[in-house]
Amino acid sequence: MKLIITDLTQFHIPIEGEYKLIHPRESIHHCVGCFGCWVKTPGVCVIHDGYENTGFDMGCCQDLILISQCCYGSVSPFVKMVQDRAISYIHPDFVLRKGEMHHKRRYKNVISLSAHFYGDPITDREKETARKLIAANADNYDGQVGQVCFYRSAKELEGITL
Amino acid sequence: MKIALINASPKTGRSASASLLADLSAFLSGSASLVEIGLHDATLPGQFLQEPGDIDVLVFACPLYVDGLPGHLLSCLLQLEQAFVTGPVPAVYGIVNCGFYEGIQAETALELFENWCRKAGLVWGGGIGVGGGGGLDQMPSSKNGPKAPVLHALEQLAGEILQKESPQNHYVSVAFPRFLYKLAAQMGWRRSIRANGASPKDLGRTPSAPTPYPPA
Repeated sequence: MKLIITDLTQFHIPIEGEYKLIHPRESIHHCVGCFGCWVKTPGVCVIHDGYENTGFDMGCCQDLILISQCCYGSVSPFVKMVQDRAISYIHPDFVLRKGEMHHKRRYKNVISLSAHFYGDPITDREKETARKLIAANADNYDGQVGQVCFYRSAKELEGITL
Repeated sequence: MKIALINASPKTGRSASASLLADLSAFLSGSASLVEIGLHDATLPGQFLQEPGDIDVLVFACPLYVDGLPGHLLSCLLQLEQAFVTGPVPAVYGIVNCGFYEGIQAETALELFENWCRKAGLVWGGGIGVGGGGGLDQMPSSKNGPKAPVLHALEQLAGEILQKESPQNHYVSVAFPRFLYKLAAQMGWRRSIRANGASPKDLGRTPSAPTPYPPA
């Protein structure tokens, strides 16, 4: 299953195979750092606004695809808030990987993380930061990095197939 | 010199970011006028939008969220992009704390601050990536305790802010062995889940297919 998290409200990108789309249909609350998704309702965010199950959805996917405006080399606030609210994908306990501390897995699936950033202009420096960010995300999800692509506009993305 | 100490933790009460700013302000007080601003939400507080013009330095402190800046802070930075188009150009410093032991894991988040400065036409001064943030707000601010390397880095940063220097980023960790930090964190999670009436085994629970919210 492909899990697509995007800030696009109008989504016209063709997708092959089974997928779930998370996009801004309702307002999202930001993560408040309570760790309730680890110690109160493990696996589910305690803020019930329609975005509380992303950790579970991530546990069911093979491909996690972020489609987002590029903000300084980061994903946009909406996509980031969805990611921040989904830390229940991982377990609170620490493990060491590549000599650094990361979180243990909760789920067995290995995610391939891709990102499609749009924006004009996206500087070379922002592209470099974005690639580092996605690689760090993949490390923390204990997954793999897929494509990291950049587009001048969201419209340009309609020419690709996910 | 007027310095805005910006607590960008989503927590309004105790937090590692609040603790780091309190320690930094102890090194700055007497040498500068300090203003405390809280960015705990995705919307900028009116306080920030009213008087940005007379601030010389912005110091952001925030937690590392999924290897980057928290989503609510990104939202605030977007809103702030145009705030300094007219008037003096403040210098910006960042303090990013992470729950992981290695402060270097905050490198990308500091880079995001730097990229924001370029877009907003501000001067990036540098920052600190602090590892071991999980216990910071419970540690005494003593130069002989586990917080010592962090305090040293903050003191150095305070000097650089007052001199308006633009050093490279610094990365520090608490003076506490990594294996003990890992053990203490894991004991903490078990204590928390027990306090919520569940078993430590539940920490690794995988929920069954969730019910959509609101339930039908």
